[in-house]
Amino acid sequence: MQITGQLALTVVMGLFLVVIAAWLAQIEDWRSYTPIGSGGATGESGYVSKEKPAGISRWLTTVDHKDIGLLYGAYGVIAFVVGGLMIMLMRIELLDPEMTLLSNSFYNSLLTSHGITMLFLFGTPIIAAFANYLVPLLIGADDMAFPRINAIAFWLLPPGALLIWAGFFPLGDIVPAQTAWTLYTPLSAGVGGGSQANAGVDLMILGLHLTGVSATMGSINFIATILTERGEKVTWANLDIFSWTILTQSGLILFAFPLLGSALIMLLLDRNLGTTFFAIEAGGTMLWQHLFWFFGHPEVYILVLPPMGIVSYVLPRFSGRRLFGFKFVVYSTLAIGVLSYGVWAHHMFATGMDPRLRASFMAVSLAIAIPSAVKTFNWITTMWNGRVRLTTPMLFCVGFISNFILGGVTGVFLASIPVDLVLHDTYYVVGHFHYIVMGAIAFAGFAGLYYWFPMFTGRMYQRRLGKIHFWTWMIGSNITFFAMIVLGYGGMPRRYATYLPQFATFHQVATLGAVLMFIGGLVWTYNFVVSWLEGPKVQDGDPWNLREDGMYTNEWQWFENKQETALADGGDEEEAVTDGGTTEAEAEAEAED
Amino acid sequence: MAKTVFDKEMFLDLVVNFIPLFILLFFIVGYTVYNPFGIDTTFRSLQYALIVTPFIMLTILTYLSAKAIGTSERDAPVYLPGGATVDGAEPVEEHEE
Repeated sequence: MQITGQLALTVVMGLFLVVIAAWLAQIEDWRSYTPIGSGGATGESGYVSKEKPAGISRWLTTVDHKDIGLLYGAYGVIAFVVGGLMIMLMRIELLDPEMTLLSNSFYNSLLTSHGITMLFLFGTPIIAAFANYLVPLLIGADDMAFPRINAIAFWLLPPGALLIWAGFFPLGDIVPAQTAWTLYTPLSAGVGGGSQANAGVDLMILGLHLTGVSATMGSINFIATILTERGEKVTWANLDIFSWTILTQSGLILFAFPLLGSALIMLLLDRNLGTTFFAIEAGGTMLWQHLFWFFGHPEVYILVLPPMGIVSYVLPRFSGRRLFGFKFVVYSTLAIGVLSYGVWAHHMFATGMDPRLRASFMAVSLAIAIPSAVKTFNWITTMWNGRVRLTTPMLFCVGFISNFILGGVTGVFLASIPVDLVLHDTYYVVGHFHYIVMGAIAFAGFAGLYYWFPMFTGRMYQRRLGKIHFWTWMIGSNITFFAMIVLGYGGMPRRYATYLPQFATFHQVATLGAVLMFIGGLVWTYNFVVSWLEGPKVQDGDPWNLREDGMYTNEWQWFENKQETALADGGDEEEAVTDGGTTEAEAEAEAED
Repeated sequence: MAKTVFDKEMFLDLVVNFIPLFILLFFIVGYTVYNPFGIDTTFRSLQYALIVTPFIMLTILTYLSAKAIGTSERDAPVYLPGGATVDGAEPVEEHEE
C-alpha cells in the first residue's frame, strides 16, 4: 500500500501530540489547589502524595472526589461564561426591533445553545461539583462509592460540550443547531427548509446524549454513596439537608435521563436512518413532546432541589439558629421528587390535548406548589428573630428566596390552564423560568461558591467585591426578568429575533439589567481569580465562626483537620478576615458598613 | 416489640406531605362529581391514573422515609444534621429540630 503524504503527516502530527502530552505530564509546578494536608510537598517530586501524581497528570488521572468536584466546578464555570456571553450578544441585538448586529439564523443558534449550555453544561455540572466535593465529607465517607465511575462521568462532559458547540467552530458545512433546547419535532427531525437537516443538529444531539450518560453515572454513584458509605454516626435522622436533596435529585436523574437518551436516539434514527418514530403519520407531533417533557419537567427539579439544599444548609449558619422545621424540608423535598413526574404536560396545555388529561396535570401542578412554598416559609422563619449576618453567601441566599418567590408565584399562575392559554409562548414564561434558573438556582450556586471558597482554595475572597457582585446581580436580574414578565403580559412572543416597535422600551430595560449582571460577572471573575491566587490565607478551620452558634459541621471539621496536619510554610501572610468575622483592626470598618 | 415510630410528633412532621395529598384527593373527588368533558373510557381512566399514581407513590415514599427517619431517631443518637462527625459532637435533644 502506498503511503500518501497526508497519511505521513497524520502520523507525524500524532507523534507530535504524544510528545506534547508526555511533556505536559512532566510539568510539576501547575499552581492551583494542592492538598498540602496529604503529606506531600508539591513542586519537589513528581507526586503530591503517594497515590497522586503532580502536574496535569494529576487532573487527568484523578479519582479523588474533591479533585473531580473541582474539575466539575471549573467546567461549570467555563460553560456559564460561554452561555453568559451568548445571551449578552442576544440581548444587545434585542435593543433594536430589527436585525442589526446578528443574522436571524445566528440569533436562533445562540438561543438554542444558550439554553442547552446553561441547563446541561452549567446547571447540572455545577451541582455535581458541590456534591462531589462535599457529600463524602458530609456523610463521613472516604470517597464516592465508585471513584472510577465518578471520573469517567466527568470526562464524558468535555466531549459533550464540544459536540454541542460544534456548529460554532469552523468545521466545513456544519452550522449550529437552531431547534431551541426543546428540540421539538418535526422541526428537529430535519423536516422542512432551513438548516434543520444539517449535521450540526446531529452533533448537538450526540453531545446531549453524552451529558445525559454522564449525569446518569453520577447519580448512580451518589445513590450508592449515600445509601452505603455513610459514617457510623450519620443516620437518616441526622443526614444533612444538602445530601438529602442530592439523593432525591439522583433518583430523579436515574428515571429521567435514560428516557431523554432513548428519545434522542430515536430522533437520531429518524434523522439519519429513515425511521419514522416522530413522523406525522406515525408518532405524530405529540410523541416527542410527551417524551421530552417527561424528562424535561423532572429536569427542572433536578436543577432546583440541590440549590434549595444549599440554601437550606447555608442560610441557618448565618441566622445563628438551626433550620426551622428541618423535617418539613426533608419530606417536602421527597414530595417534590415524586410529584415532579406527574406534571410534565403542563408544558403542553396549548397543544390541543384531551381536556380531561389537561385537568389532571393541572391538579398535580397545583399540588407540587405546596412543598416548594413550605420550604420558603421555613427559610423565612429560620431568619426570623435570628442573629442574621449579611455576609455575601447569606445575601445570595436571601436573594434566592426573593427571586424564588417571584419565579414560583408566576409559575403557579401558569399551572392554571386558562391563564396558561393566554400566556403560553410569551415572554411571561421566559421571565418566570429565568427568575428560577438564574434568580434562584444560579444565586444558590454562588452562595455555595462563596461559602465554601475558603475550603476550596484555603483563601478568603474580597468581601466588598462579593457584595458588589451580589447587588449588581440582584438588581440586574430583577430589572431583566421583571421586564420580561411585563413584555409577556403585553403579548411579546418568546424566541423571536425581531419584534414590533411597541415592545422596544421593555426590551431595552431588559438589556440594561443584563448589562448590570455582566458587570457583576466581571467583578466576580476578578475577585475569585485574584483571591484564589493572592487572597489572605485562612488560618483556622472555622472561617465563618460557626462554633459560636453550635453550627459547626462535618466538612469544616475535615478542613480543620487538613489545616492542622498541613506542612508549615513559614510564611507571614496577612490574617484572613472572613466575610462574617472581624478582627480588632477591622471592627471599626465593619461598623461603618 | 419496640414502640412504633409513628407517634403524634411524626404525624405533625408529615403534615407537609398530607397537604399535597389532600389537594390530589380533592381533585379526584372533584372530577368525579363534576365532569364537563363527557364520558370516554380511555381518557377518563387516564385522567384518574395521572392523579392517583402520584397520590399512591407519594404515600409510599412518605411512609418509607418517615419509617427510616423515625427508626434512626429511636435506635441511635441524633446529632445536628451534618454535624455527626464533628470532634466532640453531642447528640441534640430529640424532636428539637
